[in-house]
Amino acid sequence: MLMVGWIWGLLFAPEDAVQGNSYRIIFLHVPANIFAQMIYYFMSVCALMHLVWRVKLAAYLIKSAAPIGAMITFIAIFSGSIWGIPTWGTWWQWDARITSTLILFIMYLGILTLHGAFSNLEKADRLMSILVVVGVVNIPIIKKSVDWWSTLHQQASISVSGSSSIDPSMLYPLFISVIGLGFTLISLGILNSHSYIFTREKNKRWVSEHV
Amino acid sequence: MFNLAFDNFNAILNMDGHGIYVWLVYSISISIIIASFVIARRRFKNIENKIKIKNASS
Repeated sequence: MLMVGWIWGLLFAPEDAVQGNSYRIIFLHVPANIFAQMIYYFMSVCALMHLVWRVKLAAYLIKSAAPIGAMITFIAIFSGSIWGIPTWGTWWQWDARITSTLILFIMYLGILTLHGAFSNLEKADRLMSILVVVGVVNIPIIKKSVDWWSTLHQQASISVSGSSSIDPSMLYPLFISVIGLGFTLISLGILNSHSYIFTREKNKRWVSEHV
Repeated sequence: MFNLAFDNFNAILNMDGHGIYVWLVYSISISIIIASFVIARRRFKNIENKIKIKNASS
């Protein structure tokens, strides 16, 4: 599905009147940004579940999702930087959207580093969950940064609730790319969490029986 | 909507001078995603083998 969206966007969607063909990066950049933020929201829900109800699985899911979040945030920043060269004439600008997304990337790395720093894994789970909850404040800032500040980054072209300012011939492949990347990342998340749960619970009988 | 936006293969690669940016972004990103799957799969197989060895020895 991801390939359908990308091939449609790369080869069949019409050229943009202003940005030319460089806009085709949108079919990767926008889905990557959407999931960079959604994965963090997912992690913060898991973090609350772990802190409030002591759900062990929730902490395992955070630990499994964080590398995927870091990977997709890196892709979002990288694709945006490359897109910026022909469009803005620069690959980097310390504007609100780009800087807050960089902070998100650092948050993902920080979460992984923090967890790896403790030999007591239960304590690592708790501290990681606290850091995730504290860091969630950055996500609405990323979303609203283009509205609150005057940024080089353009305002949102697509909207879930309102009307989108993008032509359907570009919107449909973008929509398919979002769904396709979502499925891709969910598959990766299942694979990551499967092995991490096995790693943490390897001494339990149910794991031995399952393998 | 389903007409090819380019006349030939060279035009697809070149994209009016923007091809280098577009193809660079997609190729590196796809490589990163595939590498993530390979690493995740290898890690899963590793832990699965460890548990199997443990089961066999106990």
